[in-house]
Amino acid sequence: MKKELKIKQKERTNPLAHVFDDFIRFCQSKSLFMLHYCTGCGAIELPPAMTSRFDMERLGIQPMVTPRQADILLITGYVSIKTLKRVILTYEQMQSPKYVIGICSCTVNGGMYWQSYATAKKLNEYMPVDVYIAGCMPRPEAVMAGLQRLKDNIRNDKKEHKGSAWKDYFKRYDYYLGNQQALFGEDWQTPTDIIAEAKLYGLETEETYGKHTKLLEKHQTPLLPQEMRIK
Amino acid sequence: MNALHLMAELIFMPLIAFIVGMMMVLMMRKISARLQRRIGPPFFQPLYDIVKLYGKDTQISHGLIHDIGIIMAVGGYIGAEILLPVPGMEGIAAKGGVITLSYFLMIPSLGMALGVGQCANPNGSIGISRALTAMLAYDIPFILVVFGAAWHYQSTSLIGMIEYQQVHQWGIVEMPLLAIAGLFALQGMLGKQPFEIYIAPAEIATGPMVEMSGKYMGGLFVMQTFQLYTAGVLYASLFLGGGTSFLTLLPKAFLVVALPMSIAFMFPRYKTEDVIRILWKWPVMLGLISLAFIL
Repeated sequence: MKKELKIKQKERTNPLAHVFDDFIRFCQSKSLFMLHYCTGCGAIELPPAMTSRFDMERLGIQPMVTPRQADILLITGYVSIKTLKRVILTYEQMQSPKYVIGICSCTVNGGMYWQSYATAKKLNEYMPVDVYIAGCMPRPEAVMAGLQRLKDNIRNDKKEHKGSAWKDYFKRYDYYLGNQQALFGEDWQTPTDIIAEAKLYGLETEETYGKHTKLLEKHQTPLLPQEMRIK
Repeated sequence: MNALHLMAELIFMPLIAFIVGMMMVLMMRKISARLQRRIGPPFFQPLYDIVKLYGKDTQISHGLIHDIGIIMAVGGYIGAEILLPVPGMEGIAAKGGVITLSYFLMIPSLGMALGVGQCANPNGSIGISRALTAMLAYDIPFILVVFGAAWHYQSTSLIGMIEYQQVHQWGIVEMPLLAIAGLFALQGMLGKQPFEIYIAPAEIATGPMVEMSGKYMGGLFVMQTFQLYTAGVLYASLFLGGGTSFLTLLPKAFLVVALPMSIAFMFPRYKTEDVIRILWKWPVMLGLISLAFIL
């Protein structure tokens, strides 16, 4: 079933809007705060990339510790099904524009855990991934090259549309939710209301909705503030 | 004409503070990078960070008090800037002396406490309670320093203090113990090691900043630029003779701000109660001895 949807874009009356957009995009490519979700052995390659040998900070990239502050979610290694839940919760709490980088073969195709029943094989089935850095493990040079690629993508987003993969999560939410439900069961629910966010940004398309979002609506319990109680 | 002149000063003083403060942020990051044998961020990095944070698509507010808290945090420092005389511009410094200024310096912390309180994040609450306790710790020596300086110069006006020092000797020569106590308080005020328990990125996820994102985080970055500028210029005015032009004032202010960062990495991190213990013991003792000489 296809729904007819009208996407309302915010009207921009400022004649300099595009100039501002370009400037903000330039700054976004120059300043990236990174939240590293170190799941596997790839985490070993990050300290040299951050410290004196390769020094990420000269590219404007610095580590941050909460998803609220971060722009990049860096996943360094295999993602077990239990971990994936946390990764998705973290990803949905980040503020757009947000970027995901998958490091190591394990995030690309499962890597050496291909036959494991407990790992999620391809990360981009569950969230849009901007850059993959393959290798087992990739050396810091490769990590730096990947980050540089991400910066170029963000900067040239106007022409090439490679730096806005995060919009895909809103545009094709049904696909991602379906894959998540296949792993976690039908009653999978996150505290973030993605559909409402998609409406807010004017990013909802017909692929935002589908049978999986219907299933979500059926099981969704409203989010209430936690009761404060001293035990 | 006079009102126009004042208006221009009220606009330009915070603006200068913002630009100089960004350079101070850059300098601090460069110092920490060089100490770790890194290259460090490029020249415009603080500007990129602030523009990016304000340009985020998602801006999550946790409520009205959250918004007001950030405005208080930035506004308190903007109020402090126009009370802080710089060469050529006095703003309203002649009307409110150093006592008003020290009240203004407390507003940002209280504003942040309000804002963080509404985020309802336990890490934030822990962080801000530690930050306010640390404020209690460094404010006692800070008030002692301000009182001692005001008594010594026989003036609570920063303009008067700077004039005194330019006629006589610098404050740091006439009351060295008080200047050292001031440096202690400065280390606490800027939240550098060993007094950075309330930030503690690995333990409580940057404490007060944990729920801040987008323009709220940007507001805190702007606040940091003002904070460094205020600390540097205030210390330079109290003890290093201020300056007759920006060329003589700014090197002193930069030096004052560079000191805490340069020695920060030598220290581990003190617990909150130890922060109070050390700040109420050594700088207060130095301050009291110095007061005994001055009075």
